[in-house]
Amino acid sequence: MLFDNTDFNYEIGFFKIPGSDFSKEMRTDKFLTPEEGFLRGNLFRDEYVPYKNLTYYKLKGENERETMLLKLMSYAFAIVDLNLYLDLHPEDQNAFMLFKKYTKEKCDVEEAYTEKYGPLIVTDTTGNTFNWIKNPWPWDKTGGTKYV
Amino acid sequence: MFKYVKHLNYPINIQKKDLKMAKNLLTQFGGSNGELAASLRYFSQKFSMPDEKGKALLNDIATEELGHCEMICTMVSQLVKDATVEELKANGLESLYTEHGKGVYPTDSFGNPFTVTYFAVTGDTLADLSEDMAAEQKARAIYENLIDETDDEDVLAPLLFLRQREVVHFNRFKELYKYYKNKGY
Repeated sequence: MLFDNTDFNYEIGFFKIPGSDFSKEMRTDKFLTPEEGFLRGNLFRDEYVPYKNLTYYKLKGENERETMLLKLMSYAFAIVDLNLYLDLHPEDQNAFMLFKKYTKEKCDVEEAYTEKYGPLIVTDTTGNTFNWIKNPWPWDKTGGTKYV
Repeated sequence: MFKYVKHLNYPINIQKKDLKMAKNLLTQFGGSNGELAASLRYFSQKFSMPDEKGKALLNDIATEELGHCEMICTMVSQLVKDATVEELKANGLESLYTEHGKGVYPTDSFGNPFTVTYFAVTGDTLADLSEDMAAEQKARAIYENLIDETDDEDVLAPLLFLRQREVVHFNRFKELYKYYKNKGY
């Protein structure tokens, strides 16, 4: 379902997983939260330019695996956008603090995900089998897994 | 060096085949304004950036663009996955199927193969960054044309995401351009 600018609600909490509360996420005027930024493809509140009346889609995991992966992807996204910004503004302490915070939080989700569902990077392959090669790969349709 | 992470930048799971859309989308992989040209352009230009800001930004955007190649190829692959040869023929993908089967080969939407003549490396900071800014705007325009061509939400969602990345990249390149201009390059 599409949202236009007028009915966007900043307080909607997406992809909640047990133990997380996005309403307590750190927010600044300049940067959106990781999940807001991820859905938009743009972490910067003032740089977002929608096309015509099309803004972005609200994604929701349909099971724990999808929910965890979406959360992880939203952190990965925020880290990339902060990374690009920090390349040009390394002195911005607020951006750097957010970068470190999201990196830590992404690592935590990644660790939990990897333990349950297998590695996302090859060196995280643990256990008795080399499960790195296991399907699905990101370009596969995943047989009932809707979004990821 | 590069490390692979086993997830996309943004989720893609396209349920409905759309062969014409697949052919059109292919240009954002192998066309003149596509993601492969973007990635290789910034990757190649980073070696002549004069200071740490330029080296970092070109390196990091080049890396992100490679992830966008994977997104486009994923979309193309999923859009043709369930098609029969008859359907491919009926939708004008006969030549594509002859050359590549259902493989994803970098061409534009006309079938012209990818070429590095799509981008330049001049060794001149301002010239290269001007090209980069233009490249992001052109890619944004192509994404808007593609968005106009579909109403499938499974396709629209990642296209809107990718379009927005062009907006952000343009802004970063523009900042970097101004920074070097002010430094007297």
